[in-house]
Amino acid sequence: MKSAEAYEHEQGWDFEKAAMPYVDSLYNTAYRMTRNSEDAEDLVQETYLKAYKYYDKFEEGTNFKAWLFKIMKNTFINNYRKKKLTPHKIDFSEIEESYERVIQKNAPDLIKDPESEIFQDMMDEDVKRALDSLPHDYKMVVLLADIEGFSYKEIAEILDCPVGTVMSRLYRGRKMLERTLLEYARKYGYIRGQAEPAKMRSRKDETKGRKKKEQPEEEESETQEPEENEEEMLFADEEDADLEIEPEEEETEEFRIE
Amino acid sequence: MLCRKLERVAYFFLDGTLDAKQKRIFSKHLKLCPECEQRTTIHRRIRIFLKKRLARLVAPARLKQRLTRSLRAFAD
Repeated sequence: MKSAEAYEHEQGWDFEKAAMPYVDSLYNTAYRMTRNSEDAEDLVQETYLKAYKYYDKFEEGTNFKAWLFKIMKNTFINNYRKKKLTPHKIDFSEIEESYERVIQKNAPDLIKDPESEIFQDMMDEDVKRALDSLPHDYKMVVLLADIEGFSYKEIAEILDCPVGTVMSRLYRGRKMLERTLLEYARKYGYIRGQAEPAKMRSRKDETKGRKKKEQPEEEESETQEPEENEEEMLFADEEDADLEIEPEEEETEEFRIE
Repeated sequence: MLCRKLERVAYFFLDGTLDAKQKRIFSKHLKLCPECEQRTTIHRRIRIFLKKRLARLVAPARLKQRLTRSLRAFAD
């Protein structure tokens, strides 16, 4: 029978082997959370020591990386956000409106060179600034989903919130981040070239966008092609409901998409 | 109306989390609607851009050494 010391020693090595592969991911997210390397290192260090301490509480078969991220999130809240920040009041309709303005003006330029990076000349500092402009809760879901690749369910577990909230924050966070990046791109000249004026229409007129080339634009919204009727059938009320989201109601399980 | 609804789930389409029916409807619409196709392409390109730019940081070697030392000290 192993001594308690031998068991503990073995557990320590086991933990190290399991946890060290995630240090870069944890550090990357910690840096985005704390915004400086010194605090990020301390946060990761504390996360690892807490995780080691509670390693026996980790349930085999569950996501170890997500478990580490959850510990880090709790540690961050305890250490760095003791003074609870006032929740951000966001006028999301204003954000969507400004997004529409910039996307409608620049969309053709943003897709015309598909082989290169979309904002290839953008400084990393501007990307960081755009990310930091997001409210913390929105920044976290975007980082966890789009950089770390966690599922909605895993993010919900890490952040202790419903899956619907994760999806709502993802929608808003991504939209806000895109809006800010697009504004920087336009302001600092990262969007290059003068493509043909956009064929895009106002989203507000909510017309169908097909048969553009064959039809004068002013007749477009009035024309009902046979295929459109078919498509309307596909989007009968029930199907519309499947696709509907209500981003204004953040804290509810509004999303039916799993 | 349809374009607007699809725009609201475009990110989830890119996540691959729409159900089969929603995905089929979305994919079909992209083939028919240049504007939605263009927007979805932009969403995809921005996501690739962000992943590339924001995943660059790696933990400093000193942090890895510090963690290894601490964990082994705890274990011993």
